[in-house]
Amino acid sequence: MRAPLSLGALLLAVVPVAPLAQQPGADTHARIQALQFPPLRFNPPQPKKVTLSNRVTVYLLEDHALPVINVQLVSRVGVANLPDSLWGVGWQADGLLRTGGTTRLTPDSVDKLVDLYALNISFSTDHEQSNATLSGLSRYTDQLLDLGFEMMKSPRNDTSRVRILAAQQEENWRRRNDTPGSVLGRAWSQVIMGSHPLGRSLVTPDEIAGFTPDRFRWVQQRLYCPQNFLIGVSGDFQERQVVAKLESLFRGWAPCQPGLREVPPVTYAQGPRVVLVEKDVNQTNIRMGHGGGIRVANTPDYFASQVADFLLGGSGFTSRLLARVRSDSGFAYSAFSAWGADTKREDLFFAGAQIRAEKSVAGIALMRTVIGSMASEPVTAKDVKLAQDNEVNSFVFRFENASQIVGQQLSYAVDGLPANWFDVYLRGIQGVTPEQVRQVSQRYLHPDKLVIVVVGKPSAFDKALSALGAVTPLPVDSIRR
Amino acid sequence: MRQLWSLLAAVALATPPPVTAQQQPASPGERLPVVKHVLPNGMTFLLLRREGAPTVSFVTHFRAGGVDEWTGISGTAHLFEHMLFKGTRTIGTNNYAAEQALFPRIDAAADSFTAEFRKGALTDSTELERLRIRLKQLEDTARQYVVSNELDHILTENGAVGLNASTGSDATNYYFSLPANRAQLWFILESDRVRDPVLREFYSEREVVMEERRLRVETQPFGMLIEEYLAAAFRAHPYGRPVVGVASEIQAVSRNSALEYFHRYYGPNNAVVAIVGDINVDTMKAWATRYFGDIPPGQPHRPVVTQEPPQRGERRISVEFDANPQLLVGYHVPGLQHPDAPALAVLAQVLTGGRTSRLFRRLVIRDRVATTIGAFQFPGSLYPRMFTFQGVPIAPHSTGEIETAVYEEIDRLQRDPPTDEELQRVRNQAEAGSIQRLQSNFGLAFQLSSSEALWYDWRRTFRDQAALARVTAADVQRVARTYFSPNNRTVATLVRPARPAKGGTN
Repeated sequence: MRAPLSLGALLLAVVPVAPLAQQPGADTHARIQALQFPPLRFNPPQPKKVTLSNRVTVYLLEDHALPVINVQLVSRVGVANLPDSLWGVGWQADGLLRTGGTTRLTPDSVDKLVDLYALNISFSTDHEQSNATLSGLSRYTDQLLDLGFEMMKSPRNDTSRVRILAAQQEENWRRRNDTPGSVLGRAWSQVIMGSHPLGRSLVTPDEIAGFTPDRFRWVQQRLYCPQNFLIGVSGDFQERQVVAKLESLFRGWAPCQPGLREVPPVTYAQGPRVVLVEKDVNQTNIRMGHGGGIRVANTPDYFASQVADFLLGGSGFTSRLLARVRSDSGFAYSAFSAWGADTKREDLFFAGAQIRAEKSVAGIALMRTVIGSMASEPVTAKDVKLAQDNEVNSFVFRFENASQIVGQQLSYAVDGLPANWFDVYLRGIQGVTPEQVRQVSQRYLHPDKLVIVVVGKPSAFDKALSALGAVTPLPVDSIRR
Repeated sequence: MRQLWSLLAAVALATPPPVTAQQQPASPGERLPVVKHVLPNGMTFLLLRREGAPTVSFVTHFRAGGVDEWTGISGTAHLFEHMLFKGTRTIGTNNYAAEQALFPRIDAAADSFTAEFRKGALTDSTELERLRIRLKQLEDTARQYVVSNELDHILTENGAVGLNASTGSDATNYYFSLPANRAQLWFILESDRVRDPVLREFYSEREVVMEERRLRVETQPFGMLIEEYLAAAFRAHPYGRPVVGVASEIQAVSRNSALEYFHRYYGPNNAVVAIVGDINVDTMKAWATRYFGDIPPGQPHRPVVTQEPPQRGERRISVEFDANPQLLVGYHVPGLQHPDAPALAVLAQVLTGGRTSRLFRRLVIRDRVATTIGAFQFPGSLYPRMFTFQGVPIAPHSTGEIETAVYEEIDRLQRDPPTDEELQRVRNQAEAGSIQRLQSNFGLAFQLSSSEALWYDWRRTFRDQAALARVTAADVQRVARTYFSPNNRTVATLVRPARPAKGGTN
């Protein structure tokens, strides 16, 4: 922080502009520089960790400021752990848990209870984990937990509700090409990950035809079952009571059934490749990237890749991509990068933007240049310090409330990271040097080997897309999923 | 119909509401220890100290929205919002004098571009492109003096989160949150930019805003449907104009128009700041005076005088777009200050709030005609607006079937009032919602600032929420009969053009 501001103040001092002295705002840099911030004294409350008799771990953090309770259940398996033939059922098993009733209660009865007590009960099956979120006024804690657990333990999957779900999913399929963003997301996944389940997000008509209550039950019994859960409870409750309640709710819940698999290995497509999906729009949707090469771990490369992503396109206006593509060129409203990393495997690096049709090719070329600039025009110590200062100074926002603190512990536990991972992360980021950012960019970012997917109207482009390399057309109807 | 409620609105303004705040027990929100601090120049601060993590959220609303634009400059409120991130005479520049000296030439080039652009069908596209390039080159010359996105840089290094702004029909807001020990930074930066903004990189930002329009409206079936629907529903009131702007006007707006908009509406007397979090209230008051006290007041905000004339019969439009059908059906209803507003909010909940609501049960669950059915009142709340149903049909069902169901359920509500159970559900949901809204510093700051800016009363939004609990079945039935008649209705349907464009088939 000091370096750029001193520089600014210096420039001001050497530019003799008389009227400035009379302007009330003239000494803004000096005023900022003169600020002495008192130290931020803050020890975030720590959730208490309790193990239930069925060995399920519960993180608890009481906060009685408002009469609200929030219970999160995370299951360590997701849709990618299911056989491929059940992907569609798994992807929609969450919604049906909410709408399909229980063996005791009809779907209508469940809806009435939820609406009458103003409970928030929702489920989401994700690629590699499954979640349940239960929240409401704390005076209805019993109703909330009783109902939420009953929905997971004994789903009815009422035939009428399965039929509704099928009709809605068929309509989603029909609408899959209505917006450029939906076309791009699906085209990108297909090109970069083929048919791997981690790249999927839409259920196909064939899969919808296979929706039956029994198949949903098979999936639900494996994704939502006791041993796979981690639980977080935050808000207005008494620890002893909630723990006793959870013990009683788990009683008699059948153990997880076999039949899941490890997530199959992923292979990312190799570039360079340019793929064009034609759509009659006046703005071109673009995504470009390749395998990111990085795993989440306590390694210099991981931390350097995080700083590189921040400076390249992860931090909005302070990043190179948005500054060059938007602020300097006016080509786009949005431009970003996302250098993904995972504890389990290599993730993707990609950059994206929506660029004016008449600047499409120039815009893509510019984005490619900016990605390459991370190695060819190395970031400065000042840049790296910006990323570091941001992480250090904003840390308190990661601990703003009880449910956020509990949620953080849950996600570390699911990812197999230590409970103090945030401290490790912060130290790691603080240790990053400009040279490390350059090296990690040079090693892992390949502007010459990008897979580029473009959704737009080529006749409106500034020049032929082939200026970027051989173009493979991908007709919109051949995006299979 | 419209005459009736215009009359009611006038009565409501002229006489005190029948039920005063004193007669009703205050809701938890109304009892919050908010300190209201008004500077002599009229700038209002709402200060609320809260226990918890050492963070503080700042939200400023200016009484300056899309409706305050004048003819020919639509989108300027929003474009100006973008410009407030471009800096001042000291932030965002390394040599303001040199930079400023280039502005007249840039503006002249922009005027030439606009003159050619204005020829419309007669525009010479080669000449237009030449002028566009010249404008770009001149602005690039000025860019050597620009410290790009410096405001963002300063805030980012200080750990600010959530830096953003949004422009609505009624007002414009600016916000971010800081670690509590750095609160003074907000005062320095914010007082600088609202006192003395420099509209640098103006013409390239105009291009950015065009891309924002394409992103949100022109390439989005729902965005396009909404825009056409409002234009059909309002023929006089500016609620019918898109806040993001009409494309041709965005491309022609000048730096001077944007500055004029600023000078008209951004006086400190039109600003309401809410500061919520781990703060010392007395320190905030002192800093408010120190940093903002000497900004001279501007003209007070004057509400839009135009009233939408009563609608004389149903309006029905179709919007061609290469996408699957969608439906909007709406009725003119009064603004939020009207005594009928709580009953209209309850009516919305009875018909579409949650899975047990009447229309959801019928269209989504029983008949499987729609994937969703919702209701919302928009585009603002200061002035009479549209009570709008949104429905998405499941093929082969049509938007017409959704329309029929909406009309039948409205008829039913006009005949049979809602049940006690339905009203109890709405009350419980309103209570839970009002408590959940107190959870975050930012959410609370946003509500306080908005409520005070629109209604000159930060408690107003809390009171409106509490008022839902007092709505009776007869109230709901009465508003159903008052506003939901066919001649007060606008229907907009998204339809696929007869010959879809290449590449967009489904």
